[in-house]
Amino acid sequence: MTALPDFAPAIPEIVLAVASLALLLVGAFKGDGSTRLVSWLGTAALAVVLVLVWANTGDKALTFGGMFIADRFASFAKCLILIASGITLVISQDYLKLERMDRPEYAVLVLLATLGMLMLVSANDLMSLYLGLELMSLSLYVVAAFRRDAVKSSEAGLKYFVLGALGSGLYLYGASLVYGFTGTTSFTQIATTVGNGPSIGLIAGLVFVMASLAFKVSAVPFHMWTPDVYEGAPTSVTAFFAVAPKIAALCLMVRVLVGPFGPLVDQWQQVVVFISLASMILGSFAAVVQKNIKRLLAYSSIGHVGFALVGLASGTEEGVRGVLAYLAIYLFMNLGTFACVLAMKAGGRMVEDIKDLSGLSRTNPLMALCLAAFMFSMAGVPPLAGFFGKLYVFMAAVHAGLYALSIIGVLASVVAAYYYLRVVKIMYFDEPAEAFDRGQSGVIRFVMAASAVIIAIVIPLALQPMTHAAQAAAATLFLG
Amino acid sequence: MIIQALAFYLFAAVTVLSGAMVITARNPVHSVLFLVLAFFSAAGLFLLIGAEFVAMILVIVYVGAVAVLFLFVVMMLDIDFAELRTGLLRYAPIGALVGIVLLIELVVALVSWKGASEATANLAVPTPPASTTQNAVAIGELIYTHYAYLFQAAGLVLLVAMIGAIALTLRQRPGVRRQKIANQNAVQPADVAEVRKVASRGGI
Amino acid sequence: MEIAAIFLPILGSFIAGFFGRFIGDRGAQAVTCLGVCVSALLSIALFFDVALGGHARVIPLMTWIDSGDLKLDWAIKIDTLTSVMLIVVTVVSSMVHIYSVGYMSHDRSKQRFMAYLSLFTFMMLMLVTADNLVQMFFGWEGVGVASYLLIGFWYEKQSASGAAIKAFLVNRVGDFGFVLGIGLVFFLFGTVNFDVLFEKAPEMTELTYNFLGFQVNALTCACLLLFVGAMGKSAQLLLHTWLPDAMEGPTPVSALIHAATMVTAGVFMTARLSPLFEYAPDALAFVTVIGSLTALVAATIGMTQFDIKRVIAYSTMSQLGYMFFAAGVSAYSAAVFHLMTHAFFKALLFLGAGSVIHAMSDEQDMRKMGGIWRFIPVTYVMMWIGSLALAGVGIPGLFGFAGFYSKDLILEAAWGAHSGVGEFAYWMGVIAAFITAFYSWRLIIMTFHGKPRADHHTMEHVHESPLVMTLPLGVLAIGAAFAGFIGEEWFAGEEREHFWGEAIKVLSTHDSIAAAHHVELWVKMLPLVAAFSGIFFGYLFYMIKPDLPGKFVAAVRPLHQLFFRKYYFDEIYDAVFVKNAFRLGSFFWKRGDEQTIDAFGPDGVAAVTGKLAGLAGKLQTGYLYHYAFAMVIGLAAFVTWFWIGL
Repeated sequence: MTALPDFAPAIPEIVLAVASLALLLVGAFKGDGSTRLVSWLGTAALAVVLVLVWANTGDKALTFGGMFIADRFASFAKCLILIASGITLVISQDYLKLERMDRPEYAVLVLLATLGMLMLVSANDLMSLYLGLELMSLSLYVVAAFRRDAVKSSEAGLKYFVLGALGSGLYLYGASLVYGFTGTTSFTQIATTVGNGPSIGLIAGLVFVMASLAFKVSAVPFHMWTPDVYEGAPTSVTAFFAVAPKIAALCLMVRVLVGPFGPLVDQWQQVVVFISLASMILGSFAAVVQKNIKRLLAYSSIGHVGFALVGLASGTEEGVRGVLAYLAIYLFMNLGTFACVLAMKAGGRMVEDIKDLSGLSRTNPLMALCLAAFMFSMAGVPPLAGFFGKLYVFMAAVHAGLYALSIIGVLASVVAAYYYLRVVKIMYFDEPAEAFDRGQSGVIRFVMAASAVIIAIVIPLALQPMTHAAQAAAATLFLG
Repeated sequence: MIIQALAFYLFAAVTVLSGAMVITARNPVHSVLFLVLAFFSAAGLFLLIGAEFVAMILVIVYVGAVAVLFLFVVMMLDIDFAELRTGLLRYAPIGALVGIVLLIELVVALVSWKGASEATANLAVPTPPASTTQNAVAIGELIYTHYAYLFQAAGLVLLVAMIGAIALTLRQRPGVRRQKIANQNAVQPADVAEVRKVASRGGI
Repeated sequence: MEIAAIFLPILGSFIAGFFGRFIGDRGAQAVTCLGVCVSALLSIALFFDVALGGHARVIPLMTWIDSGDLKLDWAIKIDTLTSVMLIVVTVVSSMVHIYSVGYMSHDRSKQRFMAYLSLFTFMMLMLVTADNLVQMFFGWEGVGVASYLLIGFWYEKQSASGAAIKAFLVNRVGDFGFVLGIGLVFFLFGTVNFDVLFEKAPEMTELTYNFLGFQVNALTCACLLLFVGAMGKSAQLLLHTWLPDAMEGPTPVSALIHAATMVTAGVFMTARLSPLFEYAPDALAFVTVIGSLTALVAATIGMTQFDIKRVIAYSTMSQLGYMFFAAGVSAYSAAVFHLMTHAFFKALLFLGAGSVIHAMSDEQDMRKMGGIWRFIPVTYVMMWIGSLALAGVGIPGLFGFAGFYSKDLILEAAWGAHSGVGEFAYWMGVIAAFITAFYSWRLIIMTFHGKPRADHHTMEHVHESPLVMTLPLGVLAIGAAFAGFIGEEWFAGEEREHFWGEAIKVLSTHDSIAAAHHVELWVKMLPLVAAFSGIFFGYLFYMIKPDLPGKFVAAVRPLHQLFFRKYYFDEIYDAVFVKNAFRLGSFFWKRGDEQTIDAFGPDGVAAVTGKLAGLAGKLQTGYLYHYAFAMVIGLAAFVTWFWIGL
């Protein structure tokens, strides 16, 4: 008889799992009328879990036979993920009602996807990684197609599903190659085993695993699903997609590459450099011609992933710190932007063309100001937070001697600045289009304004605490 | 021993060939049937390595349930697969090229395979000794203790699949009469049947 | 206390500038005046503590730049020199603030004006309290900006806005020299902090460096470059053309910025850097020559002008010349002494002129004034006091107006330096003193005496200015009358070494102030004689025989033309620099920028970007199997890459 595993490190996940099951029951018994209740309860559950994660932050703890790890890195990532999920859940309520997809399963699926993400960033084994990945992805496929009456939404769900299955297949193939080489699935053991020198089979496995992770973070050339899915999926879902899963998958990528495959840094570095370059360039150029704001944001997120990967490409502690700081900033920029997109409602229905924003500064100055702040921040204009995110990753890359990557990255960000600023120009200098409907929910306006304040004031002023937290999180990966 | 080897090659060949037929057969029903065959031969392979529990599960669950369900679905949907395939040939050359390159690389990787020195030691860790434990017991011991976390996670994945299937497809159509078993059970004779005295030789 | 003295003006400026709409005109005037007046009181207290008590100090505020070898703090350095400047700046500024309440009473944007004035005051305080060259440069540029804003305050007026741009551009030329100087100092010393700099200066005298194949003395070169900055800001010859034009600004601005404070920043800088200049005798000689030439040239131009403010402006320029040649002969304390007395009497003259202009319904041409002294007696008296101070009238050994002490001290020091340039400066100064007295009385007589030449309508409206304008005049008049008498002992007398402490450094071999006390009697008396004869000729030409000027001008027409057209500086600069700069700029713009850089640079890049973007968009076909294909190809490519790499 074996002893029970230590549950303490996994308490946040357990609470979230139980909460989502309970909410599923609430939804099932009370019917569609309980959507709002379930949404709020779900948000509350996420908040509770956030507190638990916060309280649970501490030194490295392994449990479940070494398959689950809780450390500062995981805590940092989990906090970001929980904030992202909670806020997207809150701001999507009105949208769900408007588009008549207000069913309680939505919140439950978001909760389960979040659970999957938490498991991902805490994975310390190829198998627990896979299950976390699948839990997250499957929930995401479903919510992408959640507006089942709309062809675009179903198409988005299906596309994502099929390509996601391909991605999972690649992962499993790669994982089995790694397993075949090392004889283990545990990250800890893989790290000690691969240190003795790589073989071609192991490298192939690593490439497969990286490809599937790159698919999840939508890095070039595994990004093709992103624009279509972002555009087709319901906006609230897009908001969710753009932030939480990205953060989870990027953190996972950092953990996998720096942890078990840390000794192979010379091998994976070139791939990450390439992916990062390609993502930055494509994200910048392709976005220029977009007319739909959701597609624009899709390409923007591809570009941002490229920038974040610059930090990873350096392969140093400083680089990882940069990635984490970048993600924290990315979180607020995107949440705020999507809050604005969710507020783009004219004549009782949602609009999502960029030109619908024309003259917003005159019809809705607050929203225009916030959106302008986000756009400037995404373009990396100092002193907004986005600038510091870019600064940290590029600094790390320069210190790691990746000059070409840094230079091309900076040039790409110049191109990217063009389309971000175009949005600002349209809002401030074009003739007003039809004004958006008044009476957006207070929550959306609050999220918009709060994110803008965080981006423009709080983070630039409180850089030190944030980078310290990121530094502490990054350090845990390198202690061994 | 010879028989065992022969059986292995037989099952292996059948598995690969029927796998190929699944994706090349023109008639979708045939594809599903080849899939069933592939499952059977895989079960045979499992038997050969002494994993009879897995073999039986494969036959019962995959052949008995999943494949049959597929068969129903395929037969009920009227899809012209030939038409769907028309565009495919256009990309065949480049697809083949990529596939072959990848294949060669992987084959060479397998041929030159050299596991890490610790691999054997690593492999042995979680498995209970096969000689003393029945494999159903072994699986049980592993998934309910060592892999309990994964087991629960897999359960959640399946739950999500179920929620997804229901959320995406279940809809209440007006005018459709549904069977409500509770109501049926709760029916009292008095509610549905009226007892009348009928006079002889007289209608109601 | 120091912090309050310096930051109260910017606080007032901030409130008046950004919240002017909420607090109204009265509120903006009250808050800025209050800020500056409190600052003035604190400055006086500081003067007693620092200059008389001998508590010079440096108060670090915060680190500004810490990059490699360059370490800079925001700090307040207060020594005697600073505290004198603090008094000058804040007292004059507060008087001008109060005066402006009356003078600008008919203007629409009072808050803006008050905010600019206070901003200027703050920047000037930053300049004088800097403890390193870069912070000084910050204040230097800050006053430049404030000056630009105030000259162009009536921006609807074409000439005002042109004058503002001219002032800014000419100053930029000087600033360029200043920046180069700072760079060279940093290169030589590895620091820009004054205290460290001054300590190291004696070791650097022999240092030379190679410039375009010439061996130049590094310290001399640095001092010359810094002095170019001073020339720009203090309107010395060659870089002076902006000052007369700057009179387009409102009169209080002329009084504050273009007479009392900003234009003296160059003198202050030279005094502040005296420990550097002392070791660069060649640079000092250059300063002396430029200063004495400026004194004379400006005086001769001033003699011929008719715009009342321009006359005073040229007079300012001339007096600045005095200060510079004083500094050039190592009589820094005399220069600062004159700076202080000049600030009082020149501000008084400007504000008095403003009062006249106010009374004459905004008329500035002296040919259209005259005969109004009965109507505005207070202003008349004030102008007299100012002019007496400017001319340096006094009775030796008994009492004199402010200029009497400081100007005579400068001239005696120049003679006492016993050098060629010193004697040259002395003679230039004496001639300029004569002309100064002459044009001062020309101004008084043309403005106040004789027959009224203004039209009937204007004459009816001539009225004395309100108390809010005459009160500052009175305060400044007290300064103009007694500042010299009170200050002489500290600035130039026996106590001067104790008074200045470490603030000013004079090598013992250069001590021209000491020498000034032992010059021959005629050297001492000659300036006084020049002043009195200037006054006499003023009366003779304009009061007693009013037809004399016309005849005299006719007799020396070419010379008069030269003076009247300001030595043709503007015309020459226009022909040589401005026109060619425009031509060059137009060439770069049309040929270089639009046809070369834009075509291949931004526009070309933008076009290529557009094409690439279109291409990237086309990749997105929407077909699922294309996407899957892309993934697999990417994967295969990566694997192959490794394959080749291994």
